[in-house]
Amino acid sequence: MSTQSLSPDIVIDAPPARRFGRAQLAGMVLLGAIGLFALFGPWLVGIDPARQQLERFLEHPSLAHPLGFDQLGRDMLARLAHGARLSLALAAVSVLSAAIPGTLLGLLAAWRGGWLERVLAAFADAVLALPGLLLVLLLTAFTPGGFWPLYVGISLALWVEYFRVVRAASRILLASPHVEAARLLGFGPTHIVRRHLLPELLPRLFTLMRFGFAGAVLAMSALGFVGVGLQPPTPELGVMMIELLPYYGEAPWLIGAPVLTLFLTLLGLLLLAPEREVA
Amino acid sequence: MNGHATTAALAVEKLAVLHGEQALVRDISFAIPAGGVLTLLGESGSGKSLLAQAIMGNLPAPLRCEGRVVIGGDTTPAGDGRSRHAGWGRRLALLPQEPWIALDPTMTVRDQVAETYALVDGNPWRGARALAARALASLGLQDAARKYPFMLSGGMAQRVAFLATHAAGAPLMIIDEPTKGLDAQRRGDVLELLRAAQAEGMSLLCITHDIWLARQLGGQLAVMFEGAMIEQGDAAQVLAAPQQDYTRRLLAADPGSWPAWRDANPAPASGTIVQVDGVSKSFGRQLLFSGVDARIAAGEIVAVGGPSGSGKTTFGNIVLGLTRPDGGRVQRASELAPTAFQKIQQDPGAAFAPRIRLRQSLRDLVQLHGLDWTQLEALLTRMRLAPALLDRLPHQVSGGELQRIALARVLLMQPALIFADEPTSRLDPVTQQDVFALLLEHVRDKRCALLLVTHDSEIVDSVACRRIALGQHAMAPR
Repeated sequence: MSTQSLSPDIVIDAPPARRFGRAQLAGMVLLGAIGLFALFGPWLVGIDPARQQLERFLEHPSLAHPLGFDQLGRDMLARLAHGARLSLALAAVSVLSAAIPGTLLGLLAAWRGGWLERVLAAFADAVLALPGLLLVLLLTAFTPGGFWPLYVGISLALWVEYFRVVRAASRILLASPHVEAARLLGFGPTHIVRRHLLPELLPRLFTLMRFGFAGAVLAMSALGFVGVGLQPPTPELGVMMIELLPYYGEAPWLIGAPVLTLFLTLLGLLLLAPEREVA
Repeated sequence: MNGHATTAALAVEKLAVLHGEQALVRDISFAIPAGGVLTLLGESGSGKSLLAQAIMGNLPAPLRCEGRVVIGGDTTPAGDGRSRHAGWGRRLALLPQEPWIALDPTMTVRDQVAETYALVDGNPWRGARALAARALASLGLQDAARKYPFMLSGGMAQRVAFLATHAAGAPLMIIDEPTKGLDAQRRGDVLELLRAAQAEGMSLLCITHDIWLARQLGGQLAVMFEGAMIEQGDAAQVLAAPQQDYTRRLLAADPGSWPAWRDANPAPASGTIVQVDGVSKSFGRQLLFSGVDARIAAGEIVAVGGPSGSGKTTFGNIVLGLTRPDGGRVQRASELAPTAFQKIQQDPGAAFAPRIRLRQSLRDLVQLHGLDWTQLEALLTRMRLAPALLDRLPHQVSGGELQRIALARVLLMQPALIFADEPTSRLDPVTQQDVFALLLEHVRDKRCALLLVTHDSEIVDSVACRRIALGQHAMAPR
């Protein structure tokens, strides 16, 4: 037996709940700080991340250069700022370009049904059968080191989740009495999507997008780390990690910086979860 | 401790439920003797479920509770709900309303009952399963032991839930709306179940708005209105000679005592709205109905009858054009717009976009069809709905109010035909009578046709001009 369920026969206006939990606020502050760093960092530091001063290689942190210099004498803070900007922007763009078509195709499949739904579902299953990272590897194999194959690959691997979640949830919603009532009252698809489907779908999409964003940042770093993602000297978090790994003994703060940036970004995204998760 | 506490199975003294300074339930005192039954009768919103939650010690957070609750001689302050939790299942049990929702969908019936024997009563699992099997057999459920809740009928699910809540031998059971949404046959089953429990010596507190059930159960009867107990006494006596105005109104709202609406308003059989010829429909291999003919004229009230599962809702949806029939023809009067065919659904809570405020939903409708908002306001006033209600979300409005808003929304469309699918089965008698009065008034004034599905034969007897019987084909091979 589940818990007691007595009918709510008196409707009480609940006291206005706190909009965000403590953890959510912490996540927002963290992501906000990282976002500001990525957005304005490169400009504030004002040093070209590719400029080499070989005589200063592995120089320790100082007031003027808070993270010191890397193995080629490039300012580490400048590289970190540019790396954060690149990784986060790329992740945001790939998440959006997966979420938007995924959602639209999911709505279309649920609405139309029939052969169109079957074709789309089969295509989605086919993409899902390939591990996402493998798909990206496949694409990058043709043009190694490029930005576009990375972006297209990650989006292509990620849209399936949005499609599947939106299709499944929409099918249930479209069969519900409130949508039936709306149709009888003469409302068209735009209204039904806007008032009946999206308000239900958005919280789930938000959850998916958080995980998708974290996944994209990680995937890009992983690809950079194994050397098929963006190539040096591009300041990208994963590329920086692989470049700096050999100097772990002499200058642990160098590899620590991109690792910590990535860790804090993912932590922020996870903290952003509503207290009652919906997905 | 006072005198009756030693003999009473449950006594409640000066109980009140407060929300801030506002008393939602106030000054409740009663006692149920061991083996006795008390029926709490009242409309939705009268506070009867809150009272049950207060007794269980299960009130939602912002509510406070005052007074005393005495269970089997143990007195606890009503506000200290936690002290009664240890007795859940052992000393008092709750049979929730619509138990088919309360059962765990992932567990078989036997395990679900055995769980109470094992976890609440402390039997070893093997013994608990044997006890569960025996208990199921005692209610004629031996064949259902390995089934999952979704495979059960409503009546069977209710018996399973009864066994699961009763397994640890609680001598006192609180029963919440046991006949809500059930047809006459199943209501009889529920009554039988409760009588059997009583025969075993259990004490019952039965919360209901079903006057028939209250009459059949006998014992004590208390009537609740706006959070207070306004009348209390022997059931037969209260029902025969109610002292309070409200009790009289409640009893008069019972469909059995409605005046025959049909005789007062003979339907003019002219102006066909829908003509149905030889319609058939099946789901998979299950034939619902075939060869159904019907003609529905303006101003007519036609009842669709048949056992549950005979396709009454499907037939209505075919008439509306929501579902395509497998065979046959449906002709709607050509001069009518598609929006002239409307439906009132069984569960008003599911009939509105759940996350959109009612005002927004209605404003969208007015805007879409270029209607007049004042017209809607006039309708709402006629239905005695406060305009402030519209600023809420659908789940923040009671079922009766929401159904009236749904009715207003439908009437705004000036429909030629309304398909009402169990429009009041989730409402209490007074609200039910209200909704029907408004619906019938519209049918008479606007010569709108009404296609009615209801399990309540008394309502059909009172209002319907004609019946369409479905279900005689259900067993026949195609």
